[in-house]
Amino acid sequence: MTSVNGVDTAKLSAVVPGFEFDEKADLAQSPAWFLDGTHSVPPWTPLFGWFWINFCRHGMQYGAEKLSLPTVKGWDWRFRNGGGYLTLLLVKSEAEQKQREERFRVAIRPFIDDYDGLWKSQLDEILGRYEKLKALDLDKASNIELLDNFEQTINVCRRMWEIHMYMMYGTFTAYILFESMCRDLLQIDDTNPLFHKLISGFDNKVLRVDKRIWEFSKEADKLGLADVVLKSDPKDLVKNIESAPHGHDFMREFRAFLDEDGWRMQRMSEINMPTWIEDPAPPLANMKQFIIKGGEFNLEEERAKLGEERQAAEKEVLAKIAPEQKGWFTTLLRLAQKSGVFSEEHDHYLDLYMHALMRRSAMGIARRLVGAGTIESADDIFFVIPEEIRKVALAPEQFDLRQIVHARRAAWREWCKTPNPPVILAGGFDMDQAMGVLVKSNDPIALKVVVGSMPVVRPEIKADLHGTCGSPGVAEGPARVIMSEEELADVQPGEILVAATTSPSWTPVFSFIKGVVVDRGASLSHAAIVGREYGIPVLMNVFVGTQRIKTGQRIRMDTNMGALFILDK
Amino acid sequence: MTKKWIYALEELGREHIDLVGRKCAHLGEMTKLGMHVPQGFAISVDGFERYMRETGLGARIATYFASKGPDIKKSVQSQMDASRAAKAMMTETPLPDEMADGIVRNYEALCARFGAPDMPVAVRSSGTVSMPGQMETYLHVRGAPEVLRRVHEVWESTFNTRAIAFRLEKGMPAYTAPIGVAVIRMVNAKSAGVILTVVPTTGDLDHAVIEGNWGLGESVVSGDITPDNFIVDKRTLAIERKVSRKTRWVISTGTGTAKADVPFHMQNAPCLDDAEIHELVRVALNVERHFGAPQDMEWVIDRDLLLPDSVVWVQARAAKYAAPRKEADADYIANQMARLFRQ
Repeated sequence: MTSVNGVDTAKLSAVVPGFEFDEKADLAQSPAWFLDGTHSVPPWTPLFGWFWINFCRHGMQYGAEKLSLPTVKGWDWRFRNGGGYLTLLLVKSEAEQKQREERFRVAIRPFIDDYDGLWKSQLDEILGRYEKLKALDLDKASNIELLDNFEQTINVCRRMWEIHMYMMYGTFTAYILFESMCRDLLQIDDTNPLFHKLISGFDNKVLRVDKRIWEFSKEADKLGLADVVLKSDPKDLVKNIESAPHGHDFMREFRAFLDEDGWRMQRMSEINMPTWIEDPAPPLANMKQFIIKGGEFNLEEERAKLGEERQAAEKEVLAKIAPEQKGWFTTLLRLAQKSGVFSEEHDHYLDLYMHALMRRSAMGIARRLVGAGTIESADDIFFVIPEEIRKVALAPEQFDLRQIVHARRAAWREWCKTPNPPVILAGGFDMDQAMGVLVKSNDPIALKVVVGSMPVVRPEIKADLHGTCGSPGVAEGPARVIMSEEELADVQPGEILVAATTSPSWTPVFSFIKGVVVDRGASLSHAAIVGREYGIPVLMNVFVGTQRIKTGQRIRMDTNMGALFILDK
Repeated sequence: MTKKWIYALEELGREHIDLVGRKCAHLGEMTKLGMHVPQGFAISVDGFERYMRETGLGARIATYFASKGPDIKKSVQSQMDASRAAKAMMTETPLPDEMADGIVRNYEALCARFGAPDMPVAVRSSGTVSMPGQMETYLHVRGAPEVLRRVHEVWESTFNTRAIAFRLEKGMPAYTAPIGVAVIRMVNAKSAGVILTVVPTTGDLDHAVIEGNWGLGESVVSGDITPDNFIVDKRTLAIERKVSRKTRWVISTGTGTAKADVPFHMQNAPCLDDAEIHELVRVALNVERHFGAPQDMEWVIDRDLLLPDSVVWVQARAAKYAAPRKEADADYIANQMARLFRQ
């Protein structure tokens, strides 16, 4: 008897119809399903899970098909208790691999011939679609217009994932080839500091937003608002600044900045928390941290230094390349250098921006449903799925979704209490075999974002933990263990951030911390890229960092050796 | 005895740019490489300077510019005034008789070589540096008085406003300029166009590209029409043809040139036959070998002469093209990417 809060959960419709994990059928299809720990821990709300499972899945298959990747047709996804579980769709016959390889050679050419032009055309398209969604005034719209806006949001989300995965597969394929060539010709891989120097020191949109927040910290200081900011708790920042002298003008400017660049979520892959536009507290908390740190924005200087180091590294490397190989090697190097920029910019323009628009459209409907009594509070909408929204949107007062919301919310609370298993395996199939499948797929995203490389344990250095180098360097300082976005405001300058993974919305803190330790990560994961651009060390694939390290403990990390030492035990 | 100031093209080579200007020096160099160029002669930079000196015009114009002071640099209006004044002074100053005689004698000798009195010629400027606003070209010029008039006009172009502005900007003297003149036989063009010994868009060095149209080459260079396109394998000489429908051409009218409709029966016919294409490629590859770099060359097929004499060259310069190997590099990268998936 499955019952939560008196509602029979067996009678509840599936959260993602057609894609609920079905142990028997799904393990027959594939013996190993991996939890997407980067995006679905903590568990998704039903509405967000519906979007992700449907369209991330579609986008990956679209990208793999459009590029005709020889060995993989993207990933299949299932939903289980708020977790996203994935498995790879391998190309089964060698004959088909050969055919796909032929087409791949042609399909990949736009990335080689004009990468910047390609990325710009994709961005222009999706940003144009976003503007159309934003054009509707949700509170004045009719029920018909509101539902239409929501349906269009679904379509734009699907298109966003197509662009996302097509670009990501193409970009990362180039990166992997460059790394492979570096291994052959220079005997270095992408955990080597020289390799990192070759691909760092580039500007991107996320870093430019960070710089704007820093500029606002200077502006606040100039207007005499620094004291108010320093004395305010993050949640009171808006209110306190608004009521201070010059504070109103300051906030007007800050909101104008957010109207442009605040289309982002606090959590990378969820829509149940306010965007920066709705709640400026998180970026204001970042601004406060800049004021505490004082001094100049170190990123500019750091960027110039990284740029010089990159040029020196390029010179060093090119001197070792035979003249007849220089042509393609240089082209490939330039292409690999785009990977970092793409990784950050796609988070900003694709994931975060789209999610903010999904939230906007859903909240528009939510307010209407609350008004009609269909649901109790606006955030009930995250426990409703699009099929149900379609059912009630035009005549909301005729329907009551409260029972469903109660049951789903209760179920979701249960999901949050019990972590999803990292992998679901068929009987007789072990983790090593499962990882073998991932590697065999040659799937560029699986290799460079999800799996990463395994740390080399060196007993002679007596380290407490081992990891792989995501960004080179050595750092020592107090640890700050962060389990969720809400704790970000606690991070103090000079600390070393310890987390499961990091999200792009966390970048502002990178400018005043000393280093980053993450349980999971690969060279194209967010923490590694941003760490390299800020010139701070990043140690990845430590696996148990968040369990073994406690906030306040002094730690020393040496990414060149792949080692972490806990100094106060 | 005055210094020599008229040269036959065969006397010249690329070392003579300062003497006769680029155009003439290049035509001379091309004859050395065994290319047929339109026969003719060059009036050297000294020729222009002698005219300016002997007539006293140089001094008068120099005085005029000096009187304007340094402010002329900033004022387009004074530059336009200076252009008008200098040209007016030139117009009322004919060539000294001895100089006029020298040009007429050379023109008549050229006509005699072809047994064609009042033979049409082209009169082209030949600056020692490439200079905007000073590129006058007169086609189909007939008879000694006309030739003299056009030479005089080429010299006048030295005082076009843009040319003056350019010299002022570069800190060169405004009142004079090193300019030569080419006087060359007008080719009775059956067809004309360009050949590149590299595919410019891809940097492919294994093929030559020919583009051509009926009539004079202006229609091809200007991009008004879609020309015929021939891609020739430089090793096997295999020809890949893209013959276009060519509706417009540029023809000689007896007093100049004009755009006109191509006769219907010629519109869909290729403007070159295989023998002509192979001759173009043969010569172009020789020139490419000589300079050790891909070439961009302009050709004309003379309807009055037989192959190979009918292939006449009017221009040869280093080709601009996409970085070589770019295409090959991209192919290599795409192949290597494909291989990644096989591991």
